[in-house]
Amino acid sequence: MAYTRDTEVVERLKPEAVTPEEQAAMAGVEDLDFEIFQHKMNMIALEGKETTMKLGASTGMRWGDVAFGIYTALGDLSVVATGIWFHAVLGQIPVKYIVKHYLNDPTVGVEAGDSFFFNDPFYSGVHAADMGLCVPVFAEGELLCFVGANVHTGENGSAEPGGQPIAAKSRYEEGLMVPPIKVGENYTLREDLMTMLGTATRDPRTMVLDIKARLAACRIVERRIQAIVAEKGVAFFRGALRKILATTARAARKKVSKLNDGTWRQPRFLDIVGSEEKLVKIGICLEKKGDKLKLTFDGVSPLLDNHPQNSFFQGIIGLAMVYFCGWFFHDLPANNALLDALDWEFPDKTIVKASGDAPTALAPSVQTCFVHGIFLIGARMIYNLDPKRAVASWFSGFGVPYFGGFNQWEEPVADISPELNATGAGARPDQDGVNGAGAFFATMSDCSDVETTEADRPFLYLFRNYFKNSYGPGKYRGGSGVGFGVAIHHVPWLAMGGLGYGSKYPATLGIFGGYAVPSGFIQTVHGSDIKKHLAESDRDLPVDLDQLYEEGNPEKGNRGLHNITMGITPFVNGDTYYMPAGGGAGYGDVLEREAEAVMADVREGLVSRETAANLYKVAFDPETLLVDQEGTEKLRRDAFQERKARGVPLEQFEEEWAKLSPPRSALTYYGGYPHPKPKRDFGLPF
Amino acid sequence: MKVRITEYLEVDLESQKWCCQRCGHELVDARQNYKKGCLVAEKPLEEVYPPKPEGQAYGFIPDPDFCRLIEFYCPGCGVMIENEYLPPGHPLTHEIELDIDSLIERYGRA
Ligand SMILES: [Zn+2]
Repeated sequence: MAYTRDTEVVERLKPEAVTPEEQAAMAGVEDLDFEIFQHKMNMIALEGKETTMKLGASTGMRWGDVAFGIYTALGDLSVVATGIWFHAVLGQIPVKYIVKHYLNDPTVGVEAGDSFFFNDPFYSGVHAADMGLCVPVFAEGELLCFVGANVHTGENGSAEPGGQPIAAKSRYEEGLMVPPIKVGENYTLREDLMTMLGTATRDPRTMVLDIKARLAACRIVERRIQAIVAEKGVAFFRGALRKILATTARAARKKVSKLNDGTWRQPRFLDIVGSEEKLVKIGICLEKKGDKLKLTFDGVSPLLDNHPQNSFFQGIIGLAMVYFCGWFFHDLPANNALLDALDWEFPDKTIVKASGDAPTALAPSVQTCFVHGIFLIGARMIYNLDPKRAVASWFSGFGVPYFGGFNQWEEPVADISPELNATGAGARPDQDGVNGAGAFFATMSDCSDVETTEADRPFLYLFRNYFKNSYGPGKYRGGSGVGFGVAIHHVPWLAMGGLGYGSKYPATLGIFGGYAVPSGFIQTVHGSDIKKHLAESDRDLPVDLDQLYEEGNPEKGNRGLHNITMGITPFVNGDTYYMPAGGGAGYGDVLEREAEAVMADVREGLVSRETAANLYKVAFDPETLLVDQEGTEKLRRDAFQERKARGVPLEQFEEEWAKLSPPRSALTYYGGYPHPKPKRDFGLPF
Repeated sequence: MKVRITEYLEVDLESQKWCCQRCGHELVDARQNYKKGCLVAEKPLEEVYPPKPEGQAYGFIPDPDFCRLIEFYCPGCGVMIENEYLPPGHPLTHEIELDIDSLIERYGRA
């Protein structure tokens, strides 16, 4: 043991080589039995996921930021129940670490009844807020498989509450990061270690309850697996579990082979570094040849030494699988054998390949910014094969309040609010995106009921509903996101901040001429008189985020608008906080949107009259809102002509365009505009 | 034979050109960036996004220091084939580069 991070095990994202025993066992698995086995395993994993959710305490665990996996004895993830698709390839690393380091280590060992905890993002891939627990399952005295639950618990004692410190300057400010350790033996958790883990965080109740929830689910799944083994035998179980991986890999390559050969590119821009409004870039290339895809990079900003918008490469692969598991390979099992169809090469010392002591707490921003590019590439790549799958992106930018303090029951709280699970879905090739659909990276998660959130969070919701300035317009528009406002309630104070991006450069871009989502921002009112207005049942108070910015809003106080990323700030009883959970991106040319669909949105309050007339070019009667077909046709004919008059050939356009640049102040961390170069190597020992 | 590549783009295997799916206009050689056959314009962001809240540091319109909107139109019919949101002056993207030989092999010659 080198007593430091293991850089070898994290490279093992693809399935381990098949052992001779597995090979022999696979040969004995009949097709029909295999089908039944897969169905049972999926149901068992789902039971594990649902059990975890029902027993846990954190926002993430209660509302579905949960993955329950079943792993082979070598650590490959074969079966998973989740909407958090990155766990389908990242959940395995801690298990492989345990197999590699502890299986034959006399001081640790792996025995029936053991349980292992981990949250070092180097192994779980995304961020330390994601924590996991797994247990080995034995049959006839031999290690059969592992089962485990990975969940966003959040709070980990980092420099800011909730486990995602914006101001972290090194990994030593990012709180507890535990490589896989044994926390339980003989079917019992160790009280000394539970006390240590609880004490390390602001919210020990949530920390320990979430651990126990994971473990309880593991034990139920262990029993279900024992029942299958009792009926079908060890060899069958081993062979069938491995066969899932073998068939998945074959199917993945077959599906890739149906795409046209070519190269797709997408530059991505993140508009925030720490809490500074700066640009950084991730240039993405995806090449398809034969039955393989290859991910490479074409200009990525250098590693940020003292800001947390860096990702480990494994987290980038993990987020790529959100697209591949959830969209491209939607009809295949989600497991790490899908990676058989994908190769990759990462540039060292960049924001997509963190190393050394660089902080990574906001890796999710880098990762979602990256994978949005994969969604855009994916839509362009798959249109020819399966046009209905060529959808615009769901909201990608986050927009998450985080908070810390004490709730109305005088218990410590340090968490995020669940509205990030209520963003809009992307527009589709034949219809609009779904309003308030969920989160693209957490498709089985939910945004909680307002009343449930209010029951143990010190908030009074002022409103929570669709927000018309949240999504991208197009021939089909993105699904509406959700705007919400809360007042601090029942407690003297609470510290709050905001996480996300997209206040300067839009978080989510459209496809095939569809537009990006508008920029988003936070409004706060300190010293608000909102409670006076509520006590008086003031009917002039805004009832949605759109009305908040209308004239005549009676709320008085010290109003401030902020970037979606907002450092942690004290709020007192009655102060208010307003934020959008963004909408989906648009698909296709706005001038092709059916005029009737535009007016239906006007009636629903999802499009303003100005946008209907000026952007969609719909002529309508302002009294009845009925479409004037002839007038609309004329407006649109004129608009097409105006484009042809306005547009110039590309080379002519580029002459003037190339003279422009963002202000120097925006490029501090960019790494050389427009094509960032890797960091100079100062010969540091990492 | 024309092969549909996106909502608005096709490749004509015979002429080996990018074509507008809406009006059939031939844009440019299929081995090149289709944008070379488009009309290009910067679209003011305030024509797409609502202005309010007025006079504030933050709003619904992306910051033009960070982001501009460029639109690519078919010279035949004026349909918007694609758009790009880029920081000012950032080179336009060659986003789709098909292996035309393998495309022809796959679909056969017209
Ligand atoms: Zn055309």
